[in-house]
Amino acid sequence: MKQSSCIGGEYPVHDAWQKVTGQQVYTGDMQRPHMLYAKILFSDVAHADIATIDTSQAEQLEGVAGVFTHHNTPDTLFNNYISYVGQSAPEDERLFADRVRFVGDRVAVVVAKTPEIARQALRLIDVTYTPLPCLPTMEQAMADKAVSIHPEGNLLSQAELAVGDCDSAIKERANILETTSYIPRIHHGAMEPHVCLAEYHPSEGLCIWTPCQGAFGVRNMVARYLKMPYCDVRVIKTVTGGSFGGKQQSMLEPIAAFLAKAVKGSVMLQYDREASMLSTAVGTAFQFHVRSALSAEGRLDALDIEALADAGAYATNSVALPFSAGKKAMRLYRIPNLRYRSKSIYTNAPAGGGLRGWGGPQVITAMEIHMDQVAKRNNMCPVRLRMEHLVTPGEVEHYSKISLGNARIRECLTEGVELFKWYRRWERPADTGRFRRGVGLACGGHMNGYFNGVHDVSNMHLKVNEDGTLILNTAIHDQGCGTLISLALIVAEVLEVPVPSVRVLEADTHTSPYDMGTYSSRVTYVCGRCAYEAAHRVRDLLLEQAAVLLQKPKAYVYIQEGAVFVKGSSDIRMSYGEIAALAQTKLGQETAVLHGYSNSSNPGSYGCHFAEAEVDVYTGLVRITDYLAVHDVGRVLNRTMVEGQIQGAVQMGIGYTLTEEVALDHNAVPNARNFDKYTVINLPDMPQVRTKLLEYGGDDGPFGAKSIGEAALVPVMGAVVNAVNHALGTELSVLPLTPKKIVQALWKGKLP
Amino acid sequence: MIIQFVLNEKPCQVDISPNTRLLDLLREHLHLTGAKEGCGIGECGACTVIMDGNAVNSCLVRATQIQGKKIITIEGLRQNGEYDRLQEKFVEHGAVQCGFCTPGMILSAKALLMHTPHPTLEEIHRAMEGNLCRCTGYNKILAAVQDAAGHGEGET
Repeated sequence: MKQSSCIGGEYPVHDAWQKVTGQQVYTGDMQRPHMLYAKILFSDVAHADIATIDTSQAEQLEGVAGVFTHHNTPDTLFNNYISYVGQSAPEDERLFADRVRFVGDRVAVVVAKTPEIARQALRLIDVTYTPLPCLPTMEQAMADKAVSIHPEGNLLSQAELAVGDCDSAIKERANILETTSYIPRIHHGAMEPHVCLAEYHPSEGLCIWTPCQGAFGVRNMVARYLKMPYCDVRVIKTVTGGSFGGKQQSMLEPIAAFLAKAVKGSVMLQYDREASMLSTAVGTAFQFHVRSALSAEGRLDALDIEALADAGAYATNSVALPFSAGKKAMRLYRIPNLRYRSKSIYTNAPAGGGLRGWGGPQVITAMEIHMDQVAKRNNMCPVRLRMEHLVTPGEVEHYSKISLGNARIRECLTEGVELFKWYRRWERPADTGRFRRGVGLACGGHMNGYFNGVHDVSNMHLKVNEDGTLILNTAIHDQGCGTLISLALIVAEVLEVPVPSVRVLEADTHTSPYDMGTYSSRVTYVCGRCAYEAAHRVRDLLLEQAAVLLQKPKAYVYIQEGAVFVKGSSDIRMSYGEIAALAQTKLGQETAVLHGYSNSSNPGSYGCHFAEAEVDVYTGLVRITDYLAVHDVGRVLNRTMVEGQIQGAVQMGIGYTLTEEVALDHNAVPNARNFDKYTVINLPDMPQVRTKLLEYGGDDGPFGAKSIGEAALVPVMGAVVNAVNHALGTELSVLPLTPKKIVQALWKGKLP
Repeated sequence: MIIQFVLNEKPCQVDISPNTRLLDLLREHLHLTGAKEGCGIGECGACTVIMDGNAVNSCLVRATQIQGKKIITIEGLRQNGEYDRLQEKFVEHGAVQCGFCTPGMILSAKALLMHTPHPTLEEIHRAMEGNLCRCTGYNKILAAVQDAAGHGEGET
């Protein structure tokens, strides 16, 4: 019937032309009448009570509209991770601290006519601290019973997820292997630092413009905190300059909203890189201890993972995230006795928070390092060991007892081994010179939405305009991943119209139907399915209205190439625009549907990555010289963006493995505060990433599509670490693998 | 103080404090917001503009330093309604995701192609090494620049 399909094509992001011309308006580019600027004074000590704080000089500076500290802001405690109504998480944070708990804690804020005046006023604030003992590491925080970062002690939470009986299985086996690994605290590194604009009118209430991931969550959080009616708080999602989870929580919104209300005007709160890096959230650092028991036949009877998660100074999501990591650990390998136990520990470090993969990258990296060590120490093939245990299509995961869907991780591994010419490269004799090459692989996977946890609901309003174009009103949030174009493709495909005739709107809490937000890799799978069903309902409505208008039975009308025809009467053709216009005038109807979709499945999106590393044993520098990523994506909607997501994830993952860390000294002072000392991979250091996309479909996503953005990060670190260890014959597992650590390992091994 | 310079091929005069950063002059005073601030210390390249044919971090340039200079910003790249070839290739190759780094990326590439129309891979690497991107992994950005260069940037 249809000439061509847009699914699987190559499309730029919806606003690519605005972006290449510099015309796209990000939050920091916005101007409001009489807009004021807020600048924050951050703590430069890690743990102390604020003894005195004198703001009198700052207040007197001309152009200053207000100065706020713990003295004149609420002492209400909140948690910036809480989004939906009924969600609970420890509320342990104040808007402005009376006791600072990390370098970067908020001490005071100035609101002024210009950013310069605000900065100048900050320098006039005089703070004295009463120092408290500082606990920069999880070991110190657990050992020191005398010092509590919060009243309840330094152990924030614990989790245990288990299938089978790990203890007995390990006791019965002689061949027990243990590894430890450390996955560091990292900065999300979105190129746009955090920013929020809030405006208050006594009659209109609050309006908040923010590049957030969940506008309704921000509204719920801010309205609750400020005790305002929901109808008086409007949150509008703005163009986002990257997030990677860093903008998932309400980092700046409650502050900007409070300030706008306090000064009864517009307040622009824009963080610089240092504030973004230290004072929002970091990717959570984890310490892992993994044990496994291997049978004589080379099968893993047990895998036991113990995790310590560094919550940092405030709880935010650190109860939920380590638990979520455990759930992800259950979804990759079928091992009869599998246990994950975690503890979340408060420290005087920047707070941990949501990061691409939500604990999955951390725990799967630990597992994949472990798998390689099991293979190596037992003289087994790492491909074979994994293949023996990887999950299979349709398998029910034993902990959550839900299906993993059409899980094709085995096919990813098989295809990748072939494409990468794995065996030839893995079996070649070790290099002995200055430059040594090795190859590594790792498997990984991620979720598709929230099913079997949180409610996973999307609502969309799709209407046909009087010229036949369409508007899809949603509460989604494009982070720069091509979300809007994906939804436009889905609607265009179902209704057989050109892609540019579908406009997709983003979240505005006053006008959008409810959606949970851009979390947990749910957008393509859940929101995409909602758009797909909404489009089918509009298709049906067009037929229904056309049938009435043409006075034909509905069974006689059909759609072809974006218009309605009557069977047997080739001269009759009604365009969508004609139907929509006539439906209004003749039928008193709109050609529109409000559609709700509640997700009821959660298949895995899987991938297997292959890296070749070249290590300079003189300097300890590592270069990634070849890279292949094979992914089980269900169905490709937009090839360009799927590839882009994978290549971007590899960039992040190589940095995660080799260079990136927000490390602290013994006073919990961070070593890096900007991109001079926090090194992300740049263009010359980035390998060409070959991608192979497997399209088995079969699950509930639109046209069979599954998630990719988070799944793509999960295997990277394991593949790169394993490649370095293969090149050097080492067992490195404390990330990042800096030149220093590599050279130290080589000298310990007494290599030249 | 009064500063005269050429902005996107048009003469421009501003009265401004000499310590003002070029980035702030562009964004706050001239409302050209294509240049972005990603780090403020010349490490990320999001604020890149072209000054007398060379890519510079506008966060590190003071207003006094642009006296008599020719400045090209992303807003000036489109000539008479025609997109620059780099802009077209960035869109075509899907080299744009969140887009925050994009103006700087394009201008670093533009400065390279202005004086080296057919750069080697190493020359592209050197020209682009100061521009960070967190979304794309650079592969498509590199492809876009190579494609633009391969078609003879600067020729008509």
